[in-house]
Order: sequence, then C-alpha cells, then structure tokens
Amino acid sequence: MTVASAATHAEGLAARRALRAARIRAIAFAAIGLLCFSAASSTLETAALFRFWVDRQGGASEKLETTVGVLWIVAGIAAGLVGALQFVRGAAFPWRRWLLVLLLPFVAAILAALLDGKAANLTGVLDGTLELAAPITLGALAGILSERSGMLNIALEGKMLMGACVAAITGSVALNATGDPLVGIVVGISAAMLSGALLGLLLGWLGIRHRVDQIIAGTVINIGAVGITNFLFLRILGRDTTLNTPPTIEPMRLPLLAEVPVLGPIFFTSKPYVYVAIALVLFLTYMIYRTRWGLRLRASGEKPAAAGTVGVNVLAIRYRALMYAGVLAGLAGSYLSLSSAGSFQMGMSAGRGFIALAAMIFGAWHPIGAFGAALVFGFADASQALLSILGVQVPPQLLNSVPYIVTIVVVAGVVGRVRGPAAAGQPYEQG
Amino acid sequence: MTRAGRLARRAVLPILAVVSALLLGAVVIILTDFENLARFGTDPLGAVGAAIGGVATGYGSMLEGAFGDPSRIAAAIQSGAEKDIATAIRPLTETLVAAGPLIFTGLGVAISFRTGMFNIGGEGQMIVGALGATTTVIALAGNAPAGVILVAGVVVGTIGGGLWGFVPGFLKARTGAHEVITTIMLNYVAAQVVLFALRSEFLQAPGLGAPISKVLTPIADVPLIIDLPAIRLDYSFVVALVMAGLVSLLLFRTTKGFELRAAGFNLTAARYAGMSAGGSMMLAMFLAGALAGMGGSFMVIGTVGQLTNDLSLGIGFNAIALALLAGLRPGGVVLAALLFGALTTGGKNMGIVSGIPYDLLFFVQALVIMFVAAPGLVRAIYRLRAPKADAEVVA
Amino acid sequence: MRLELRDITKRFPGVLANDSISISADRGEVLGMLGENGAGKTTLMNILSGLYRPDAGEILIDGQQRDFHDPAEAIRAGVGMVHQHFMLVPVFDVVEAVALGSETASGPLGRFDRAAARRRIVELSEQYGLNVDPDAKIETLPVGVRQRVEILKALYRHSDILVLDEPSAVLTPLETAELYGIIRSLTKTGTTVIFITHKLNEVLEVADRVVVLRRGRVAGTAVPAETTRQALANMMVGRDVELIVPKGPADPGDVVLSLRDLMVRDDRLEMAVDGLDLEVRAGEIVAVAGVQGNGQTELVEAIVGLRGIDAGEMSIGGERIVRASPRHIADLGVAHIPEDRGRDGLIIQMTVAENYILDTYHRQPYSGLGILDPAAVATGAEQGVRDFDIRTPSIETTASSLSGGNQQKVVVAREFSRPVRLVVAAQPTRGLDVGSIEYIHRRIVEQRDAGAAILIISTELDEVLAVGDRIAVMFEGRIVGILEGETATYENLGLLMGGAEFGGVAA
Repeated sequence: MTVASAATHAEGLAARRALRAARIRAIAFAAIGLLCFSAASSTLETAALFRFWVDRQGGASEKLETTVGVLWIVAGIAAGLVGALQFVRGAAFPWRRWLLVLLLPFVAAILAALLDGKAANLTGVLDGTLELAAPITLGALAGILSERSGMLNIALEGKMLMGACVAAITGSVALNATGDPLVGIVVGISAAMLSGALLGLLLGWLGIRHRVDQIIAGTVINIGAVGITNFLFLRILGRDTTLNTPPTIEPMRLPLLAEVPVLGPIFFTSKPYVYVAIALVLFLTYMIYRTRWGLRLRASGEKPAAAGTVGVNVLAIRYRALMYAGVLAGLAGSYLSLSSAGSFQMGMSAGRGFIALAAMIFGAWHPIGAFGAALVFGFADASQALLSILGVQVPPQLLNSVPYIVTIVVVAGVVGRVRGPAAAGQPYEQG
Repeated sequence: MTRAGRLARRAVLPILAVVSALLLGAVVIILTDFENLARFGTDPLGAVGAAIGGVATGYGSMLEGAFGDPSRIAAAIQSGAEKDIATAIRPLTETLVAAGPLIFTGLGVAISFRTGMFNIGGEGQMIVGALGATTTVIALAGNAPAGVILVAGVVVGTIGGGLWGFVPGFLKARTGAHEVITTIMLNYVAAQVVLFALRSEFLQAPGLGAPISKVLTPIADVPLIIDLPAIRLDYSFVVALVMAGLVSLLLFRTTKGFELRAAGFNLTAARYAGMSAGGSMMLAMFLAGALAGMGGSFMVIGTVGQLTNDLSLGIGFNAIALALLAGLRPGGVVLAALLFGALTTGGKNMGIVSGIPYDLLFFVQALVIMFVAAPGLVRAIYRLRAPKADAEVVA
Repeated sequence: MRLELRDITKRFPGVLANDSISISADRGEVLGMLGENGAGKTTLMNILSGLYRPDAGEILIDGQQRDFHDPAEAIRAGVGMVHQHFMLVPVFDVVEAVALGSETASGPLGRFDRAAARRRIVELSEQYGLNVDPDAKIETLPVGVRQRVEILKALYRHSDILVLDEPSAVLTPLETAELYGIIRSLTKTGTTVIFITHKLNEVLEVADRVVVLRRGRVAGTAVPAETTRQALANMMVGRDVELIVPKGPADPGDVVLSLRDLMVRDDRLEMAVDGLDLEVRAGEIVAVAGVQGNGQTELVEAIVGLRGIDAGEMSIGGERIVRASPRHIADLGVAHIPEDRGRDGLIIQMTVAENYILDTYHRQPYSGLGILDPAAVATGAEQGVRDFDIRTPSIETTASSLSGGNQQKVVVAREFSRPVRLVVAAQPTRGLDVGSIEYIHRRIVEQRDAGAAILIISTELDEVLAVGDRIAVMFEGRIVGILEGETATYENLGLLMGGAEFGGVAA
C-alpha cells in the first residue's frame, strides 16, 4: 500500500464509523416516531385548540382546531421522515437542522397534551419566543465571536448586567435632559454598547497581557458587575428614581408585512431587537465564513501559530473580537432594561449570559445554529407564562429550572458532542 | 531566607491586592456621592474634605462593625457587666461567625481548584447542604436527643452538599462538560429547589407565606462558645479550624491528596503514572461540596436557626476570592476568611451607619481576585520587582 | 536572490542561542544547515523568517540590509519558511490554509476571492509537481502531502528563499526522495533553498554546501562531495563521536511480552495498530523503527494500559492482558518511559522527590494506609539521585528547573528503581545532548543484562541501529520485518520503513 492509499484506507474506516452512527440516529428517530404514534392512539379524542390573533391582540382570532392525537401523528410522521432521510443520506445529513424542524410538531403535541383540552392563544407565546430569544441570540453571537478568535468569554453575564444598568441610567438622564424618548433610547443603547466594549477590552487585557486564566478573568468581571450594579442601584437609583425611568422601546410594526393575517402579529410586530438580532445572525454568518476577516478569525481560534507565522496579528484579532463581543453583550443588556422591564432591577440578567453560552455550544459555534438554540430556550421561557395563566399545574420553580437543566444537558454532550475552536482558552505568544 | 521571611514575602502581594481594591472602592464611593460632587465647583476644598471624610466614615464604620471599639471592650471587661461585654465584643464575634462558613466553603474551593476544577458552585452546594440539614432536623424532631439530631443534620447536610458537588465532577470526568458552566447552572437550580421545598407544608414556617423554614433552634442547636446575650459564636467555628487542619493533612500528607494535586498540575502525566484522573476530579468535587454543605448545615442549625432561600448568597463568590487570595493554602484560607468575615460584618455595619451599600464589597472582592490573579498589575502599580527566578537551569 | 547573514547574535534568558553567526547562500543554491538539537539552527531561521529580532547582526538580501519586524515583512521580502511542526489549520481546506494571511479580497466587507486563490494554487501545484488536491481538508491529508501544502504556501507568496526545518523528520524514505526532487526543481527556477537537519545522510545527498552549527556558533563548512559522514559528525559534536553503544551479545531468555494480531484504535477511531505480531524476550533489546505516525504511539499506550485493545492478544510474562489499568500493568513489573517527558513523564511543577514517587507513592515504603511517609520518600529520592547521577540542587527542587537530560534521568531513575521485567521506552533520547544520550543507552543495556526485556520505539535510525539486538520495522500498524542487529543497515531498514516487504518490491 502506498502512502496515498493508506490515507484513503484510514478515511474509509472513519467514514464507516460515521455511517454507523448515522444509522443509529436514524433508528432513534424512528423510535421517537413510534412513541408519538402510541401517544396518539390514546389521545385521539382530546381536543387541541390553538388560537392566533389575526391582526392585533383582542381582535378577531383564527382558530386551529384539531385533536392532540392528530398532533402526535404529525410529530410521528415528522420523526419518521427525518429518520428515513438520515438513513438514506448517511453521515453527511445535517441532522441538527432537521431536529429543529421535528421539534415544532413535537412541542405542539406536548403543549396540547399539557393543556388537555383548554384553548390557548399562541400568538403571544410565539411572539414572546422571538423576543426572549433576542438577547440570548445576541449573547450567543458575542460568545461565538470571542471563542472563534480563541478567547473563552464567560463574562457575558456581567457585560449584559452592566449594559442593562448603564442603558437605564444614561437613557433616563438623556430623557430627562431632552424630553425626547428617541434620544434617550439612542443614548442608552450606545452607552450600553460602549460599556460592553470596554469590559470586553478589559477581559482581553487581563487574559492576553497579564495571562490571567480566562475563566478567572471572566468571573472577575461577572462578580464585579454584580457588585457595582447592585451598589449603584441601592446608592443612587433607589434614592433618585428619575435616574431609573428610561424610555421604553415599543414594538415595531414592519410596514406591509405586519398586515399579513396571523403571521403578522407573530413575526412582524416585534421589538426592534428581534430584527437586529436576526440581521446580525445573517451578517455574521457571511462575515465569518466568506470574508478575509472571518478566515483570519477562525485561524486565530483553531491554530493561532498558523496565522501568526504568516503575519496575521492574532492578538489584535482577539482584542477586537472581544470588543465586538462586548458591544453585542451590552446591546443584549440594554434590551433587558429598556425593552423588557422598563427599568433596571438588581441581578436582572438572571443567568442569561450563561444560557447564551449554552445556545452557542448547542448551535455548534455557528450563528444560525445558536439562533435556533436561542429560539428553543425562548420558547421554554415564553410558554411558562402561558401555562401558569391557564392554570396548568406545573410548579413555577420547575419551569424556571428548565433553561438551566437544559444547559447542563447540552454542555454534557447528551445531544451530541460538538467541537469548539481548538485553541480557545490557550494564551498565544506572539513574537 | 527564614521561614518567617518567606511567609512575609508571600503575604505582600495579597495585602497589597486588598489595599488596592479598597482604595478603588473608596474612589467609587467618592464618585457616586453626587451631592458632594456638585459642591466641587463652589467649594473644592470642602468637597475634597467631605469626600475623604465620607470614605473615612464609611471604612471607619466598617472597621468598627468588624472589630468593635477597643476602648469600649476594655471598659466593658473592667466593669464586668454581662450586657456591656456582650455589646462590646459583638462585632468581633460576628466577624468570626461570618468567617466560619467562609472557611468551610473556602477550603472546598481550595481543594477543587488545586485539582484543576474551577468550582463556582459553592453557593448551591452550601444551600443544598442546609436544606438537607433542615429537613433532617425537622423530621427527627422529638424522636431523638438534641445532640443526635444535631449530628444527624450535619451529616446529612454534608453528604447532600457533597452530592451537589459530585454531579458536575462526574459530568466533567465522563463527558468533559465544563465545570464552570455546570456548577453555575446548579447554583440556579439549587435556588429553585430550595424555593420549592420551602413552600411545602413540612418545612415551611406556618402563617408567614414566605420562603422561610420552621425555626430549628428549639429542636437542635450548636453549643455557643461564649454564652452571652446576642452573641452567636458557636463551636462550628472550632470545627471549621479543625477542618482546615484536616484538609491540610489530606492535601500534603496523604496519597489521595498527592493524587489530587498531581491531577491539578498535569492530568495527562497523572494518568501516565497510573492515577485515575476522573476519580480525582470526582473526589475533589465531592469534598468541595461536602465542605460547603457542612458549612451550610452549621449555619442553618446554629447561627441563623432557620432556612431562608438567601442563606448562602454571596458566600460562594467570597470563598473563591479568598481561596485565591490565600494561594489555595488551607492556613491562608483561614486567614483570608477572617479578613472577608471582617469585610462582610463591617460592610453590613457600613451599610446601616453610613448608608454605603454593602454590595460595594462584591466589587472590592472582584478587584481582589483580579489583583491576585494578575500579579503584574500590582507590581506595575507599586513599582515592585518580580521575585528572582528559580535556580538557573541546571545542566 | 543572494542571501547573507552577518554576525547574527541572539540571546535568550540563560542561553546564547546564536553567537555571531555568518553564512551566505547564492541563487539556486541548496544550503544544508547541520547541527545537533540545541545548536541554534531553528533560532537562526526564525530570525531570518521574521519571528525573532536579532540582538546584533544583519540580514542582507541581494546586498540590501533588511530588518524584519514580523513574519509578514519577511514574507514580503521573499523568505518562505516551512516549519518542522506544520503551521496549517486542520479544519481548513488547502485553499484556505495556503491563502491565509495573503488572501485576495474584494468589496467593502473584504470578501475572500476563493476561486482566484484556487486557480493559482492549482497552477503552482502543477508547475512544481506537488500534486495537491486544493479542496481537501488539511486534517485528512497524510503528513507528506501536508508538507507539500506548506511548500505551496511559500510559493504562493512568491518566496525566493525557502527554508525547510527538518523536512524529512516525518517522511518515509520514499517521500523524502520525492522531496529531494521537488527541491531540485525549485532550484532550477532560481529559488534558494536552505534546509535544517541533524541527519548527516540528507545533507550529503542533496545539499550543494553544508554549514555545521555547534552550540550557537559556526563550527565549520564543507562541500558534500569532498567530505565524509564522520568528518561532519565530528564537526557537529566537537569530538570523535562513538556512533555505536558498547554492548555485549544478548542472551535472550523466556518471552516476556507477546503481541499477536494486535488491533488498537486511535482517537479518530481508525485502526492505528492493525494486526501486529511481536515478541520480546528477557535479556534482549527489541528496537522498533518507523516513521512517526504509523501506530507507534498507540502501540505503546496499549501495552502500558492507557488505551484499550480492540482485538488480538497481549501477554506479559505469560499472563493474558485484556483490560488492564496503567497501575496494574506497572504492578506486573513494566516500566514505561514516555515519549514526551515534559508532558507525560513528569509533573514539572512538582519536586524531584515527588516525581520520583509519582507511580509508586501508593506502595510501601512510601506510604501506608493512605498516609505518605516523607522520610521514606526523601531517602528513596536521594538514593535515586545518587544512583543516576541526577544534577539537582536538592530533591526539593522543582522539576522544571532541571535540564532535559536530568529530567529524563529522573524518569529513568523512577522507572528503574523498582524490579522490572519489561521496559517500554518511547523516544527515550529525543531532544537530549549527546552525553545524556550515551548515559541513557548505557543504563538501558544494564537493565537488559540484568534480565529485563526491553522494547524501544524510536524514529532515529542511529539509535535503533546502535542499541537494538533485534530491529523491527513498523509500518501502517504492522511489523513488516524483523532484522538481526548486525545485519540491519540504513538501506534495508529504509526500504521496510517505506512499506516494502523485505526481499520484495516496494508496493
């Protein structure tokens, strides 16, 4: 055997392995399909009533009336379809993407089963899913930028918190000074992004220049942010509430598109953060995979020595990536205080920074994957409110724990092991 | 260099770190005193004086909150009146009371960090332990002598905390799941679990409708060291000191400790030498959780007397800061815990007396960790020279 | 391009890497740079390629003085370096890996023009006979092809001066011959080629001129046609070098290690050891030669218990091993000297004493009932230091302060301090100075004469020929031939390493 054929021989072995794994996955999907069918058999009579607002809340509504059993059947068919595709296409099949497709009917079936015949209006839940997914998406994008450049960034939580606080304070000041909410919003968001950028540079400086372990550096920023924001809240905002009443960002109605019945109120009347997040997902996908900057970014995270020896300035790329990541995290934070709650509350980031990291991992460090994962987390969050309103007997603490437990499951690789940028977390010596 | 000299050398950096962090904290205090800042335009000298005065009052009240007023203590002891003595030494005993849980959790952090596990889950492990202890005590009420109930509660709490720490260790060993994320997530889950548990009839204090448990003191309590009114210092502090000694023995005199340290330095070489890397990880995390759980158990049975959902708030992060400050050495952990206990107790007093919120200390803590983790920063600020490099390469 | 390095000096903490070195090379010339490990060759080339700045001296290209602040400047000046450890991003494909840092971009967002890059790479590949598939992912390419991608990288950037650092270290003799062909076609177009090596044969085979470095200085120059291996070796080391290890004939006893049809998977789940048969008897040294990457690492890991066996049989001392832990294997009397002493053999943050008991701490006399006995540890460590002549200020010194040779001595001392039936040594003298190499070989022969079975895995043919009683060659996971020590030569070993069946024709 020559050297060349040895390589293909080895490749052949790996390919056979991957094929076997794909076949096992296909069988798993088929098994899920069978489970769905068996669930369907017992619930063919139970009604499933989903409502959607046609153009606005409280107006006319469209009904989707079916039975739980039907939903399970649909889910079963979807699972079977995915399983068949996986089997036929083998190892090259992008099963993670199709998993999200399967998730839709599956979740609908579970929701209907929990509701057990009660009617539920889903517009709010779906709209809420998008909205709640926005800050997590932004956070995940920030994480992707950092880690792809080779820097572990667990300070997203602290940057979000600072962003929320800074946006609230500066937004209020600007609003009070000029009386114009738009100015307040612009100032608030800009200040939040700036604070995030500065914290990102701090993380870079500690991790690169001083070779502080990147986990410790991130923890420092997180703890420091909690301390400073709590302190500011108690010392200033508690006393002088005029500094904590920033302008709120209202949902935007996209012209024309918002008029589409049923879909309009769900997709096209969201807070601007949603559109910004989606636009950034697409933009960053292009930038990372199609441009020179993206190539160098990925090289810095996979094998910085390869980049450094051809003259790429790895350290500059890392600093800049952390700065952009900080901007995104700050932006996500501003969502919390300006859009969601309308003011700053202590500890309002509530672990979202870490959930964003989970979304990043779940999404295999790809912006679109991370967005998908964020949607899943957002849905879990949004449906919690719906279920409690409808009196479904699920203890709130259980639902509250779901994102955290799912994060652990994801990180433990139960949904498949993914490999992050190879050089993430290792300091790089330049010159 | 003499042993004392080496100890002194080692202490320089941490001391400077704390001092620098407090200075920066002072800057924040000054900059957020808006009324005073406004004065700067009209009466600069007065403003500066007031600013410094503000910091002095603030940190002064912190000192007094931590240690009390020496002259008062002397006078009280002379007078012999119980009540006066109690009031005078209360700050000091409160500092020790605050230090106790910090020692426990700090020791846990030291063990896990030395094994290479970034355990951020002290808070969750502690409160799970406290929950276990509370449940045990309430369940055994009236069925056993108080001493037995106390021991049982602490044992269950210790094991409970240990299990809460074991899970991330297991996940890391078997699946490679990063322990930073899993321990932090478990902190949040622990908070939810405790909230849920405190709504149950079995545990909840009747009538209040709040997440607080029934009072444990009538059932079992930890004996006090100084039996004076309003003094809370109990023997759990002694147990903490004993644990520090045991941890030191474990790390440096036992084979298991050798394995833990080896795994922390170089996991691959440890495996090559025949050690079980995964086993070391899991053991370290279990011990860390167990120590935190023990601290939580003593805290809930002894000091506080009932379980609240914010029992362990802030202690986890404090423990990380002080363990790093102590260079992960058990002896240093005790000293650093005393320092942080002083900061905590003093900080609370500072909040009450001078209106400076206690949360500033989180910020100070973060700075301390930063200065300790980046010695170059401190050296640059104070123009210190780096310590002489190890002996030249021996050919 | 005419290249000249004048009086280059470079200091690192504690070491003078380059001491006033002057060399020159003409257009189209092949200059061989010879020297032991640590002689300063790589440092010099790193200066030329812009990675380091010299403390003194000048670089002149075509008579013009150049000062490179970073690799990008050196690349622009026409210097292309092919590093010993490839600088290729594994998840990139060839186009991305080659174009990185010199991408043609267009548009406001800097869109990478992949098609144009691909065209040029195909052009260059055909022009120089490099035969590289531009769309293949780097991590799927075998080592020889990766090296050609590295050369493509340099050509893509219009390099006139090509520096190759130990290019044949990872190639089979067949691939090495191909490489020489590529070098010759490069020089025909006027490229200057400098290559660094410690292999005497190579330099004699392909260089027009040879420069020998020793301890940071130029020890001599020569023209291959007019010199001998011995003369070059002497220049390299500074004294008459014994290329043979003094040892008496072996007296093999019972079989200690028996491997039959062994199959072991690597981390990528491919079969690294693919049906391997080997026997090692007490009192003999079996040296396994082979180019890195043919399954040697996985073989060693399987024998010492760090990696599971997929199929086949392994017996140590007659006892069949199916799924044993490293500790169990060690208890059977197996000593392991790992390939990478800094990473796997020692814990460099721990003291010499702690490293000395690294795999025996759990046994008497060092501990009892889980408690360590510091006095016993100290006694044992001091004994080891004396027996093995380890140069260290004390046993409490941190292992990182020791030199490479002394670090390896700590490992050897530790492993040989207990009764040993089988010694498994992987690259035992890699990166060591000649004195340490001689010492380690001597101790290994001692163990053999005391009755131990020795298995040495080495990529250095010099070592294998010097020390092996029997020499086996490993290729693609199998033993393709076993020769007696006396009858083995570079030539027939080289053939086997390249995949030929002994006595047959290369496949």
